Amino acid sequence: MTNASTGTLKVEIRGLHKRFGDNEVLKGIDCDIQTGEVVCVIGPSGSGKSTFLRCINCLEEPTAGTIKVDGNVMDAEAKNIDELREDVGMVFQQFNLFPHLSVMENITLAPVLRKRMSEDEAKRVGMDLLTRVGLADKADARPNSLSGGQKQRVAIARALAMRPGLMLFDEPTSALDPEMVGEVLDVMRQLAEEGMTMVCVTHEMGFARQVADRVLFIDQGVIAEEGSPDEVFGNPQNPRTQNFLNKVLEA
Amino acid sequence: MTFFELFQQSLPLLLDGLGLTLVLAFVSLAIAMVIGIIASLMGMSKHIVPRTINNVFVTIIRGTPLLVQGFFIYFGITGLLNVRISAFMAGVIALSLNAGGYLSEIFRGGIQAVDPGQREAARSLGLSARQTTWRIIIPQAIRICIPSVVNQWCITIKDTSIISVIGLVELTKVGQQIIARTYRSFEVWLIVGAMYLIVIYLLTVLARYVEKKVSLDD
Repeated sequence: MTNASTGTLKVEIRGLHKRFGDNEVLKGIDCDIQTGEVVCVIGPSGSGKSTFLRCINCLEEPTAGTIKVDGNVMDAEAKNIDELREDVGMVFQQFNLFPHLSVMENITLAPVLRKRMSEDEAKRVGMDLLTRVGLADKADARPNSLSGGQKQRVAIARALAMRPGLMLFDEPTSALDPEMVGEVLDVMRQLAEEGMTMVCVTHEMGFARQVADRVLFIDQGVIAEEGSPDEVFGNPQNPRTQNFLNKVLEA
Repeated sequence: MTFFELFQQSLPLLLDGLGLTLVLAFVSLAIAMVIGIIASLMGMSKHIVPRTINNVFVTIIRGTPLLVQGFFIYFGITGLLNVRISAFMAGVIALSLNAGGYLSEIFRGGIQAVDPGQREAARSLGLSARQTTWRIIIPQAIRICIPSVVNQWCITIKDTSIISVIGLVELTKVGQQIIARTYRSFEVWLIVGAMYLIVIYLLTVLARYVEKKVSLDD
């Protein structure tokens, strides 16, 4: 990790519960994430791992517990929630690009609207980011003309344009055709190498093993096991982790 | 009198009638769009009172015939309150309330049809609820709504003919008057029908052009 502020606390999660009606999805999660750390979250579907991620930037409001990012409490009802979210980028499984805007407009919209940059500056930053994800020639294209892998790379560029200190990835490659998974993971790998603090919910075990500093195995609404990739993948302690990994790695 | 002579003689009167039809439709639809927007916002409100008002309004508009609505406004309400309003005013009120009710459902459907992921993506970038609604949701909802809105415009343009019964001399009424003098039912209704058809056709051509222009698939 080359980031100068590595080692300071980026995210602090205490006693996180989330209930949808009668269904308790998260049953008490405590988790600290250090600046510059890359955390991959794995687990069976329906285990609550996406909900966990969506609570971090308050797309889901916790039923109980607190979440702090950079020491600020994330609360959907708080007046400053929009400002707090500006510093937390998110990438979605379904890309969620704005189809009525061009690729460049998708990227510049938030920095300009939130008064982070002038229009010109945002365009310059946008071009740099598009170059980085290999899509400089698509600046004027409409999202619907792009392939899935291209869409997701634009979505990553859009999130990065706000210069967030933390990036959340919610199964970013799950909706992609297999041949496009690599191009998106490459961008994420590069981001991790640059020292970005990242939380990735993923089914890409190879990626998690290679890039993560820490792996969280979430099952039935709790962190059932956590540790370095070598520990979790190489020598899982919890039978549920063993069971899950056996199923996934067989496939 | 040949068909051509009948056509020539009737045309100025019919064009006058068409003029009133178009004015009636245009004014009513302009007001209906405003009613529709306000009613749809009420229908999507967090609070129960505006939602209930919208619900009652839409239920009444959808559940009763336009003809009854026109009679109720022109004769019923004016009689009860002992006021007199012009037939044109009554026609505008009836048509704009009627179209407004249907449009409010179209607008609500359009906004709710926008993928929830769009709002989530916008909020995750730090956009406020208001910025998200105006910059992300509404522009997409409008595109979704266009075909249904144009459909409602066509219906309302034709519904002006129903309003002729309260004494407005619009296109259909002019047709009746000419037939009363000439007994040329077949020809006159043919011409009147063609005039409505041309107006609606031009509108749909324009709508298709706009729809294509703002389409998201390219």
